[in-house]
Parts: sequence; structure tokens; C-alpha cells
Amino acid sequence: MGKLGFEDARHLVSRTGIGSEWETIVRFQNLTRQQAISHLFNNQQMNMPALPQMSPWPKMVQLRGNMRRKKMIKRISRTEGKAIQKWWVKHLLDTKSPFLERMTLFWHNHFPSSIEKTTQASMLHKQNLMLRKNALGNFGQMLHNVARDPAMLLYLDGYVSTKEEPNENFARELLELFTIGLGQYHENDMREAARAFTGWGINEHNGLYRFNPQQHDSGVKTFLGKRGNFKGEDIINILLQHPKTAETIAKKMWREFINISNPDPRVINHWAATFRNSGYDIKTLLNQVLNSNEFWAPQNRGALIKSPIELTIGTLRTLPYTLRRVDLAHNLNIMGQGVFAHPSVKGWSGGKNWISTQSILRRNSMMTNLTAGNLNERKNRGGIASKMPDVSPEELHQWLLAIPPLQQMPTEPGKQRLTRAFVLDPAYQVT
Amino acid sequence: MTTKMDRRDFLKYAGLLSASASVPLLTPELLFAANGRRPDKIVVLVELKGGNDGFNTLVPFADELYYQYRPNIGIQQRHLLPLNDQVGMHPRMKALMPVWNSGKMAWIQGVGYPNPVLSHFRSMDIWNSASNANQVIEAGWLSRVLPNFKQGLHGVALNKGQAKLGPLYSSNMNAVTMQNPKTFLSQIKRINDVSPSRLNPAIAHVSQTQHQLFGVGTQLANKMGNRPARSGVRFSKGVLGHSLESVAEMILSGIDSPVYKVTQDGFDTHSGQRGAQDNALFQVAGGLASFQQAMQKAGLWNNVIVVTYSEFGRRVKENRGAGTDHGTASAHMVMGGRVRGGIYGRHPNLAQLDQNGNVQHTTDFRAIYGTLAQRWWNQPNPWKGAPLIPFV
Repeated sequence: MGKLGFEDARHLVSRTGIGSEWETIVRFQNLTRQQAISHLFNNQQMNMPALPQMSPWPKMVQLRGNMRRKKMIKRISRTEGKAIQKWWVKHLLDTKSPFLERMTLFWHNHFPSSIEKTTQASMLHKQNLMLRKNALGNFGQMLHNVARDPAMLLYLDGYVSTKEEPNENFARELLELFTIGLGQYHENDMREAARAFTGWGINEHNGLYRFNPQQHDSGVKTFLGKRGNFKGEDIINILLQHPKTAETIAKKMWREFINISNPDPRVINHWAATFRNSGYDIKTLLNQVLNSNEFWAPQNRGALIKSPIELTIGTLRTLPYTLRRVDLAHNLNIMGQGVFAHPSVKGWSGGKNWISTQSILRRNSMMTNLTAGNLNERKNRGGIASKMPDVSPEELHQWLLAIPPLQQMPTEPGKQRLTRAFVLDPAYQVT
Repeated sequence: MTTKMDRRDFLKYAGLLSASASVPLLTPELLFAANGRRPDKIVVLVELKGGNDGFNTLVPFADELYYQYRPNIGIQQRHLLPLNDQVGMHPRMKALMPVWNSGKMAWIQGVGYPNPVLSHFRSMDIWNSASNANQVIEAGWLSRVLPNFKQGLHGVALNKGQAKLGPLYSSNMNAVTMQNPKTFLSQIKRINDVSPSRLNPAIAHVSQTQHQLFGVGTQLANKMGNRPARSGVRFSKGVLGHSLESVAEMILSGIDSPVYKVTQDGFDTHSGQRGAQDNALFQVAGGLASFQQAMQKAGLWNNVIVVTYSEFGRRVKENRGAGTDHGTASAHMVMGGRVRGGIYGRHPNLAQLDQNGNVQHTTDFRAIYGTLAQRWWNQPNPWKGAPLIPFV
């Protein structure tokens, strides 16, 4: 197979990374497709920025027991929530393995846990590390981990689910969103699943997962046509045998990597079969996605809408702009992609939903802020142009836009001016 | 560092681009969106997000089963705001008692739909689109009424963060989302108009939305840019109070939108319901009371109807966490100067629960939509199956 060349390298980088860094494109253009994909898979940096201060669970659990301390918990979690948001945003800006971060975000969106509901930054931090560690690993393992993840036990009320009163929140979302999806089960299956997860909780002293046999309903359950003395693990294993689980993930991959329209069912079946047959090996699935005709098809270039993270952090990773007096983590919140702050357990809907009249204003004002400044390159000593690679206008276009611009480009010369025109064009909103 | 970009290169390039980029057109819908006058029939939709527990909102104190099912979170009769000898309002909704007493508030009991779905997302889609439980319709229900009712702007959805169009979502409607008009106006100055592109669905959506935004922005700038109308009423500081204040100001400024949608969060009360729901209802009551006063003061109370909705109600039986799980039918409120106050619909039978422990609905939610279409906007009712409710 031939080398990628600039355009394909640029496509691969912008779809798998955060932004499209010039150096990576230049490196990839001389690799074959498979070499470049292997590079993405092998580049996994796990070291994270220094941790903010976070209150440990034993301290918080004491406050939780006290109704009058509710405000205090709110205050602590708000401060710590902001800190942990900044922590991840910093890493998203600096990481040398953007593909791994992108996939960590992907799973963070599939298995959301918000600071607002959990009020426990220290647990969200641990969940984040767990998702990153498994982001290119095995989905089955990740699902088992998530089910007993303390942040998830808080987020979907699993920790209060008992034999007498099974709480349905986790079981419902496990079926509806995390695995087989609506229409594949009856309410009764959901309730039986909820029984199987009773007794799963959090150790008061160390904040780790703890199984409490006294609170577990050990009776016989009927779940998706199977009968047995099921535990939570059994429910997850039954769900992993169900073909719809792999389809759910395959469909999300389509929306992440191909386009915003409804996926082609034949492609989804094909990907889902590969995924299941591999025992849920995420790299195997990704390899198929990134090698598919759909991924490379010309009509799918520019057919995805950039997420707020891709738009803002992506720009900062691509171009030598600096962000002035703006709290990036906060801006991601108001643009609709606050990390650890999903609008609901469904996560960010993405696609078309990234764009509303409200979000266009915010996205635009963010890009305007970034690109503001003196455009006279002689007066501002070259401005950002002096820090950019030496490229022709055509190359600049190819680099920054996946489709032709919609607006008139400036007639005055200047690389900084042209760069700004590209970044502010609606075409820059798609990738 | 040297640069390859000289002037000649650049001009060649700019010339090349001008073929693909074109000057925006002043399309008819843009023209209407930019002008237009205030409709005399406005609906304010209040989304109670998370699934509001109707039984602890309009409390059926005369129903013994209610207290049997809710030993901990049931609200005692002596704490309620009695509306008749059967039901009373949640005590934290006191701010709305003057509206009830003036006969301008209606409650509709048992609102739901057949074959209820207990998923937040799916059930909200059903409410937004007025579909059947087993049917997927993408367009919002208002798209079957409003394009025929008027041209120009069809709706404004307000929320902190990301507002959702919900019932206003449709490609044949002109609807926008915003946090508030002030922020909207301060950011709109930097937006250029673009002609919608059809290259692919992604850029089509981006460019179409930006085009729409430009039209609405022009109207807002004309009518609210320099001196926005103030309501002269104090609104609470919460998100809903803030949104409703913005709605009042837009109506007073003469914006041509027939629908405003606002949202109160916090109704998914799986645990610790009393604190959470009490507060959310307090926000709703406070915000709506201020809104009512603002409209009354401006002489516009007869021109608006406020309607609440939510994806579902909650289970009759409380759970161990002093909360309630996803349910079915719920009670909803309608108020406005032309509203015929009272209690409509039947209280669901708490003795007859389905296998999930949920009640059977007694009023189809599309009856409310149909009533608004036919009796408020004088439009054909697209939902003939559900009998109208004479609340207006």
C-alpha cells in the first residue's frame, strides 16, 4: 500500500487526534495507512498533570450522613469539580497521545458520571484513569469495571440498591444506553437486572467497591429469557453475549469517525460482528473502522461537526494562538461539553446537537477571541505567522479546512489574516 | 522565517475561492425573521426536566392509598394548599395561589399516553414530537401547527448552558436557542450571514443555523439593542427565574415569537425527593408568579398561556431512598388571562397499577396540544384522537 500523502494524513490526524498538528501530518504523510494506524495505537501516554487537592471519600461520606451539611458538600464538590475539569483540560491541551485522549473522552461519554450528581471528584479522577487505561483495551473488561466503579455507583444510585428496595437507575441505563439499547428488553428484564446488582456498594473507610451479601438478592432471576441465581457479573456477561451490545458501540463509532447521518446498517453489522468475534477488543474494532472505505470516502470528508473540545483545544493544538483571559474548562461547559459535566446519563448527543443558534454564538466568539490581534505582520513582528510552518495559501487551506470555505476570503495578503479567515469560516466547524 | 505567500500568489488564491464562496441572500424567511410583530397569542412551555412527580405536586389528599404508598414522602393535608375537597398544591407553590384564586389556573390530572416508556430520553422524544410510544417522529409537535399560524420566528428556547429546541425542533420552523437576549446580542455582532451550503449534512446544518441566527439577531438588535424593555418585576435568581425574566422582556419588546420554552431541572428524584422536588417546585412557582405579574402589569396577561410538561410522572410507591422511580401519568398546569381555571381530567386510580407499579393515564397529553392548536391558535387540530380540554 502506498504512502498516505498530505491530504489523507491530514484527514487521519484531524479525525483521530484533537486538532491537526502539522508535525504529525508531516510524519504520517510518509507512512502507509496501516503504519499510521499502528502509530496511533502504540502511542499511549498515561502520565497525567499534577493532581488537584480532592477530599477523600471517608471525609465526604461523613458529611453525607448529615442533612445540614448538604451545602458544604455542594461547595466542596463545586470547587473540586472545577479543579478536576481543569486537570483534564490541561492534559487534553498538552498530551502527546491525542488519540488515546480522544478515545478516553469517547468512553467518558459512553459511561458518564458527573460531578454534580456524584459530588466526589476523587472518584471521578479514579474513574478517568480506569477509562484511559482501558480505552484501547477490552470493552467487556471495561464494562465490568464501570459497573463496580464507585463514581458510577454514586452516579446511578447503585450504592443504595438493596434486596428490599432494588434501585433501578443503573440497571435501566446499563440496558438502555451502555449495552443492548431500547426495544431489546422488557421492563421486567430491567427489574430483574436491578435485583442482581443489589448489595453492590462503596466501602465507607476506603471508598472502594464493596459487595454486601446481606443486601444482595440471591433469589432466582429471569433475564432476557435466561433463568438463574444471577449476580451482577452474570447480567453483564449475558449482555456481552447479546449481539446488540456490539452494535450499540459500532453505531457510536460511526458517529465518532464517519459522519453525522444514520449509519449504514450493513457496515454496522459487519463492525459489530468483528467486535464480538474479537471478544470485544477495542483496537480490532478501531482498526476496522479506520481502514473502512467509509472512513476514507471523499463524501465523508468534512461530514462531522467538531465538538467544542475539537474546536477549541484542537485549534490551540494546531495553531500558535494563545488564549487570553478565558477559562477554557468553563467555556467548554457553556459550549455544552464540560468534562465530568454531561447534561445527562446519555452523555453529549454530539453531531447536529453541537450546533444551535446559542452554540454558534459561543463557538464563534471563542474563535474570534483566539484569532484577535494585530494583523499587520510587519508591525507585530510576524505575529502567529512567524511561528507557523512555511506554507502556501493552498497548503494552508488544505491543512485547516476539510471543505472549501463558505465566505469570501480576504483580498489583502498575509498569512495571519488568511488563517483567521479560515478559522472563522463556517467550514472550520466541520471535520 | 521566510514565507511563500506573496501578494500575487494570494490574489490568485482569493480569486479561485470567490467561485465557491458566494454573497449571502436575503431569503424570505430571513426577511420575516428580521421584522415581524408580537403575536397576540403566545405560549410559554415550562419543561420540568427529569420526570416530575405529579402526585406530590397536585396532591390527592382525599385518596387514602396515596398516604399508604408514601409513608415518608407523602405530604400531609394540613401542609397543603387546598384547591378543592380532593386535591391540594404542594406547599412550596404558594406564590401561585393568587393566580389560582383569580380563576386563571387550571390543573389537568392523569396526563400520559398509552404503552408508557420509562426512559427519560425516549419519553421526552414522545412528548416533544407527539408521537405514539412505538413511533419515531423527529420533528417537534409545534411544527404541525406553527408554520401555518405565522411566518417569521416560531420559537425561542432559553436555558443556561445548552438549551434544547425540543418541541420547536424541525427543519420547517424558524426557532432559536439562547441563554438570554443580552448575551445573544453581545455575541451576535461578530456573526456574518452565510448562504446555506448543501455540500453535506454537517455543513448544511451549520450554515443553515448561522443563516437563521443572523435573521433573528437582526430583529433582536432592532427591538432590544439599545433600550430593552424591562418588566419592572423582581424575578428569582435561579436559572428558571432568569429565563422567564428574559421571556417577559422579549414579549414586552415585541419580538414576534409565538412560543417560548424554558426549563427547570431537578425532577429526577430517585432519592431524597422532598428536598429536591420541593426546591424545584419552589423555583417554578416563584418564576411563574413573577412572570404573571409582569404580563399583568403590561396588559398582556390575556395574550399568554403558560403550560408545564415533563417526560413522565413517578411511581406511586415511594422507594427506600425516600424517592420515587420513573412512572407514567402526571398532573400538569396551565395558566393565563384567558384560562378557565379549575381541575380537569380524572385523578388516576391508585388501586389499579400496572406490573411496574404505575398508574394508568386518564388524559392523553396530545389533548393539551390539540387544545392549544385549536382553541388558542385557531388552527386545525392534528391530534383528533384525543378530545379537547376546555381550559381555554
